[in-house]
Parts: sequence; C-alpha cells; structure tokens
Amino acid sequence: MPALPLGEAGRYVAAAYIVFLVLIVVYVAIMAAKLQRIERELRELAGFAETRQNPVPTGRPAAGVRGVDPTQPQTGPDPNLAPPEAVGGPGATTRGAPDV
Amino acid sequence: MTSFGFGLKTLSTATVVTLTAALCLVFFYAPLDANQGFIQKIFYLHVPLAMTALTGYIVGGLLAIAHLRTGERRWDAYSYVSIHISVIFSVAVLITGSIWAKASWGHWWVWEEPTLVSFLIVFLLYATYYPFRYAIEDPERQARYASVFAVTAGAFVPLNFLAVRLTPSLVHPRVLATANGGLPNSMLLTFLVCLAAIVLLWITLVKFELTAKSASGQVKRLRRALDAPAPNGPSRVAPEVG
Repeated sequence: MPALPLGEAGRYVAAAYIVFLVLIVVYVAIMAAKLQRIERELRELAGFAETRQNPVPTGRPAAGVRGVDPTQPQTGPDPNLAPPEAVGGPGATTRGAPDV
Repeated sequence: MTSFGFGLKTLSTATVVTLTAALCLVFFYAPLDANQGFIQKIFYLHVPLAMTALTGYIVGGLLAIAHLRTGERRWDAYSYVSIHISVIFSVAVLITGSIWAKASWGHWWVWEEPTLVSFLIVFLLYATYYPFRYAIEDPERQARYASVFAVTAGAFVPLNFLAVRLTPSLVHPRVLATANGGLPNSMLLTFLVCLAAIVLLWITLVKFELTAKSASGQVKRLRRALDAPAPNGPSRVAPEVG
C-alpha cells in the first residue's frame, strides 16, 4: 500500500500513542486507589494501636459525668452498668477509633 | 524485610525523562520512513513494547525457577508482578499493532500472519495465568503451581519467537533482521532510546506494584497482630474480608 497522507496517518499514530497513554493512566489510577485504601487502613490501625496503649476506662464514670447528678436518685438503670450488648453490641464502648 | 520503595522516586524520574526524550526524538528527530511515511512512528512504540513484554515473560519464568529452587515466597511475588506488567504491555502491543495494521495493510488483524497469531497465543496463554493461579486457595500450592506455569510458559516464549522467525513472513516485517537492525543511524538511535524508556517504564511499574503489595502485606500483618487478644479488652479490629 502507498504511504498514507500525513493527516490520515497522524490520526492512526495519535490513536496508538493515546492508547498507550490511557493504559498507563488507568494503571496508575488503579494503583492510586490501592494506595489510598492502604493509607486508610494504616490510619485505622494507628488509631487502634493508640487506643490500646491508652485504654479508655469502661467502668462507672466519675460523678457528674454525662450530666448525672449524684445527689439525685436515678429513675432507671444506669447505662454505664449495662452490658455492652445492650448499648450497641459487644465491645461497643471501645469500638471505633477516631479517623485522623 | 525488603524495602521495595527504595529508589522508586529516582527510577520514576529517570523513566519520565527518558520517555519524554524518546517522544521528542520520535517526532522531531527521526526521519520519515520512505515507504510508510508518518505511520511508521508507531514502530517506535509497538516494537519496544513487544520486546519488553516478551522479555518480561521470560524474566517471570526465571524468577519462578528461583522460587521453585529456594521456596521463598518473594520470588513468586516477583514472578507474578513481572508477568502482570508484561500482560498489560501485551495489551498495548496488540492494540497498537492493530492500529498500525489497519493503517498499513487495511485490516485490523491478519490471521494468516504467524507473527500476529503467535503473539496472540502467547498473550492468551498468560491471560490464563490469573484464573489458574486464583483457582487454588492454599497459598503454598498456589505459589508452586503458578511458578511451574510461569516456567513452562516462559520456556515457550523464546521457542515461539524462534519458530516465527524461521517461518516466511506474509506481511509483517522482520524487524532487527540485520546487525544494525536495518535502520539508518538516526532511526536506530531513536529506537534504542524508546526501548530504554519502555524497559525503564516496565521496571518502574514492577517496582511500584511490588511496593504496593509489600505495603498491603505489612498492613495485613499489623492488622493480625493488633487483632490478637489484648490483655485489657476485646478485639477492635474488623476481620479481613476475602
């Protein structure tokens, strides 16, 4: 076949190089998504590790906490004494590290 | 513990610089081909991609041999990533080749041409690597069987290449058939820079993928360690999914 005119050949050449570029960009985008997931998991784990080092006391809080007046008789069961399952499932009092 | 991220920034910079230089040479330095004209510019992308992809498959096979000899899982990871990036490059080879074929021969694909069909066979062979690998649940067996596959398929690649070179070509040119590739110096220089750029890109992507896999593996190990029963409380880490 004779050589294509520059205008027509240019379209094919551009298509070939754009395909290559698109493949690379798609790959980099997929890798970026993976790295974002890893970063999110690391943040989560760092939060867990920090909470482990400084555990939050899960027993009865000090008087006055949550607006409870210790001088007044309580009208219902103290939510802080209820089993974790009753207030949000097992381990609910310590679940959920804050996101940075 | 191996740090795959070491030197990644330098490597990435070198790759971008070489790729830019290669593109400048292709479009501003290399002369137009007397026979094909401007469409021949695809040669500088298509051929280095094909050469790198095929070499990557062979490298994957060699790394798989290292895994089978030593039993170390990292060699299997290297082999897997080499094949993975080579498959991506092969997709680019097939697409750019089809575009070039349409422009040069008037057809997207010529089934009678052994070069095209043999490359497609190699690509399809490696496309089966993923389902084959992930059909096996036990990690040890998965790595071992995948290595055997990589070695067998890796040995097939040069044999296939030789067989194709020995057959008469229908329409596909036999590139680099002479000592200097049958190219004038300016074209040869451009081609070599393009080849260097694509090889650098392959190495960078392999390193990038290995770094991501290593980071992901370390996060999983950390998650497992943190998930172990704490001395003063229940587990607070969600179980892994999948």
